[in-house]
Amino acid sequence: MNQTMSKAAVNQELGDERTLDSLIETAHRQMAPRLARVRRPPVRAGLVSSPLGRLVVAISEAGIALIYFLDVPRANAADAIAMLQWRFDVMEDQPVVAGVGEEIRHFMAGNLAALVTPVDLSLIESPFQHRVMERLRKVPAGAVISYQALAAASGAPHGSRAVGNTMASNPVPVYVPCHRVIRSDGSVGNYGGGVASKLRLLRVEGFQIGEDHRVAAGAVLGHQRTHIYCRPSCSAARRADPARMMIFADSARARSAGLRACRQCLPG
Amino acid sequence: MASISSLPILPIFEEAVSSHERELMRYLLRTTGDREDALDLFQETWLRAYRAYPALKAGTALRPWLYRIAINLCRNRARDRTRRARVMVSDGHELAERAAVTGSNDGAIAIGSAIKALPPNQRRSLIMRKFDGLSYGEIGASLKCSPESARAHVYQALKKLKTVAE
Repeated sequence: MNQTMSKAAVNQELGDERTLDSLIETAHRQMAPRLARVRRPPVRAGLVSSPLGRLVVAISEAGIALIYFLDVPRANAADAIAMLQWRFDVMEDQPVVAGVGEEIRHFMAGNLAALVTPVDLSLIESPFQHRVMERLRKVPAGAVISYQALAAASGAPHGSRAVGNTMASNPVPVYVPCHRVIRSDGSVGNYGGGVASKLRLLRVEGFQIGEDHRVAAGAVLGHQRTHIYCRPSCSAARRADPARMMIFADSARARSAGLRACRQCLPG
Repeated sequence: MASISSLPILPIFEEAVSSHERELMRYLLRTTGDREDALDLFQETWLRAYRAYPALKAGTALRPWLYRIAINLCRNRARDRTRRARVMVSDGHELAERAAVTGSNDGAIAIGSAIKALPPNQRRSLIMRKFDGLSYGEIGASLKCSPESARAHVYQALKKLKTVAE
């Protein structure tokens, strides 16, 4: 049974601000465990200008949670923030995110080791997409992989379209290198930050890409398991599992990624 | 560097809500007239508001929104209370003392005695179904009859009660 207060008691309660404050304090103390279960982690967000245009950047305690290209058609900062707010408690913090702009600037200037801030992929919901992203992060700068091969490597040999969707919804482009995923025919395909940005990123990473938007002939095929790289024409490479193959810009980059030359086709 | 103020970010929930906490608590104390209820509803309001906060468009007024949540929760609670009270009143077992306590609600008393007057199996089926929320299968099992006849018992009981109520 409730101990119902008399009207006078309530009025007294209302009159006394200190009682009110202590009640509020009690309420907060009592709901703390329930709040802990629904609490969204904090994220600091801001606007960054980079060589790839203006970006909305958000950084959680685990790392970069969002990079959003603002200078592409149909980009909308409000959408990006709204999406972010369902998962995080968002706070404006310009200085914290500015570092990301710096890292991208150094990267675009040719320092391929500049992207050091970790990423937080908690905006990705599906386990498949998490698998794809983990696979993709093993593709080093100077290499590309096809949508098809990435799908196969993620356990879905016929899932190239699903990989395409995953790339399109990549919350942290550049850091999670979705620009390193191209079509099986060697053309670069599309990019959320605009195809021009994809071409610039790939060129910075050492690819010669002509007017036809194709990865040029100097490229060699690298096998992720055997750590051997071949000419595209090599019969050994053709026999290999396509799911294991990456395309490197040139032999030097394959070697620096820890691969050795094929003894059959001698790619130099 | 481009200006940051263009990003439509909602203020931090705790900060936005803190200036309304006193009046919210005051409102809840006034409507419930009970300290425990007010404490309870305050927490419920706060947590619901926190969970739904991202749905708020930047620039929407927080105060009326907060009040809307509190008002709805108060109403829900009041509705649940009366519903529970009514069930207790019309339940045959507690009828006598209930009637003595409330001394009103003639309709409920009439239905209570009508329930008492029902044939045993109809009465038991009705109480198990409507007050205890058992399934027809469960009722059938406890009365050693089929679920279909349990359903029929409840139907017949309700039919009789309806004539009493009118």
